[in-house]
Amino acid sequence: MSSLRLALLSLRARRARLLGLFAFGAVFLLAGTAAAVLLRGPDGDVHIDDLFIIGGYPLASSALLLGWLLGRLPLIATLVLMAGVVADDRRDSLGRLVAARPASRLAVYGWRAALLALVAFALCALVMPVFDLLLLGEWAGPATLVLIAAYVLVYGALTLLLSVWTRGDAWIALLLALLAMSWAALDRAGSLPVSPGARQLFGFLLPPQQQLFALENAFAAIEPIPWPAFWYAAGYALVLLILAGLSLLRREV
Amino acid sequence: MDLPAGGVLGVVGPNGAGKTTLFSLLLGFLRPSAGTVEVDGLPPRRYARERGFAYLPERFDLPHGWPVRRALLALARLDGHGKAGAVAAADAALERFALDDVADRRLGELSRGMLQRVGLAQASLSRGRVVVLDEPTQGLDPLWRIRLRGWIAELRSDGRTVLLASHELDEVERLADRVLLLRDGAVRELVEAPRSEAGRVYRLEVRADESLLRAAFPDAAPIGGGGGGDGGGDDDGGAWRVTASDDADLSRRLAALIDGGGVVGAVVPAEQRLEERVRRSLEEPR
Repeated sequence: MSSLRLALLSLRARRARLLGLFAFGAVFLLAGTAAAVLLRGPDGDVHIDDLFIIGGYPLASSALLLGWLLGRLPLIATLVLMAGVVADDRRDSLGRLVAARPASRLAVYGWRAALLALVAFALCALVMPVFDLLLLGEWAGPATLVLIAAYVLVYGALTLLLSVWTRGDAWIALLLALLAMSWAALDRAGSLPVSPGARQLFGFLLPPQQQLFALENAFAAIEPIPWPAFWYAAGYALVLLILAGLSLLRREV
Repeated sequence: MDLPAGGVLGVVGPNGAGKTTLFSLLLGFLRPSAGTVEVDGLPPRRYARERGFAYLPERFDLPHGWPVRRALLALARLDGHGKAGAVAAADAALERFALDDVADRRLGELSRGMLQRVGLAQASLSRGRVVVLDEPTQGLDPLWRIRLRGWIAELRSDGRTVLLASHELDEVERLADRVLLLRDGAVRELVEAPRSEAGRVYRLEVRADESLLRAAFPDAAPIGGGGGGDGGGDDDGGAWRVTASDDADLSRRLAALIDGGGVVGAVVPAEQRLEERVRRSLEEPR
């Protein structure tokens, strides 16, 4: 538990990022409220198509962008909060102060990563269900929380692993996320111009976006949670966490 | 190279000589490209994990938003102090380094000198037997340099091993028992500080009656020809070789001498000064 105090201080050092994420979430909720007020039809549903009538293409595309970004909120929150989770300590002298002390570096960074991931999860779990309530008029159920958890696990573990090695952790994780999203979309459409072997290999190495999409789709269609997809994502995260732990033990400070 | 436990080892050398790299190897931050490093028979990382080092890095810095006291408390917990012990250790460190007034301020609001004192304070939290101080006088005003000497003297008398890297040769000469001269990543020389069994040896130029001088410095020995120092045993003045265990002891003895009517012309370390040794050693061809 001695590492927890340091983890709490690390959260304090990320206060500005946390406030920024809250502001980001507030924008979504405001947009959701505005959409619900302006576009709710007599049937109680929110008709996004009506945005074309009100504001033309720019307003409709803005709403679509907001909606897309909201779907990516767990990814964004995780990357913003976890950026530099280990690497920042090499920039100042904290990494060396920790390494010189009779403390487990695994515990120090494990607690910190867990706390930051938990905060990212909590923030998304506050914003996303409220947004659903505003637009759908009902809570989508635990599927939202499972979706958030899967994103936080996969990209939190990826950022942690990268952070042990490089200061560009979150940017590289973002790049890999976009690559994985594009790869998964092209794969789903059968448009990948590569051999089946390469397709499988890249699909295996890149973040499991296919599985995350499966969770998203089930959530959007209010279908049962595809647990195999979740467990695959969790297993991928576990492998990354093990690699991050081994890297922490090996890496020079 | 074996370094014995206990005492103060000064590490000096020009920029890029390898002082910080040597410390990084010793603390287990870096792995040696050849050879091995052991601290008390253990690999450095294992030693750190099991016993811990007291460590002040060359450029001490922590996240600027952290309040001083909370930072010290968190680091004290990592040092293995219990909850109450951490509070006591942090409070003691705040008091020792006169940081009580800024305990609730953020690190980013502190001056360079004050931040360095926080660095020293966090090093003082550790109960590690090996204390590594990389440029500890950086940013400290003269008063705090003197206080730092007091702390290092305490560490030495507590039987702890202090490694001290500094460009301040006077400071190193004053504090260290042995001095390691580094150049281009290699050890040039390990210099024993000029100390006798009884302590440090000084050249004292004084005008005083010999009995008064011997009352203050019983082992005073004349330097140069003529019976009883340059000036003999009278009070015409002369140079003597005297010893004192440390700076405080020297000050007490000099005070007694001056109180008795002696007139001190100069007091300097008797042996060749470190500065000259460093210059000579570093100017030699490789």
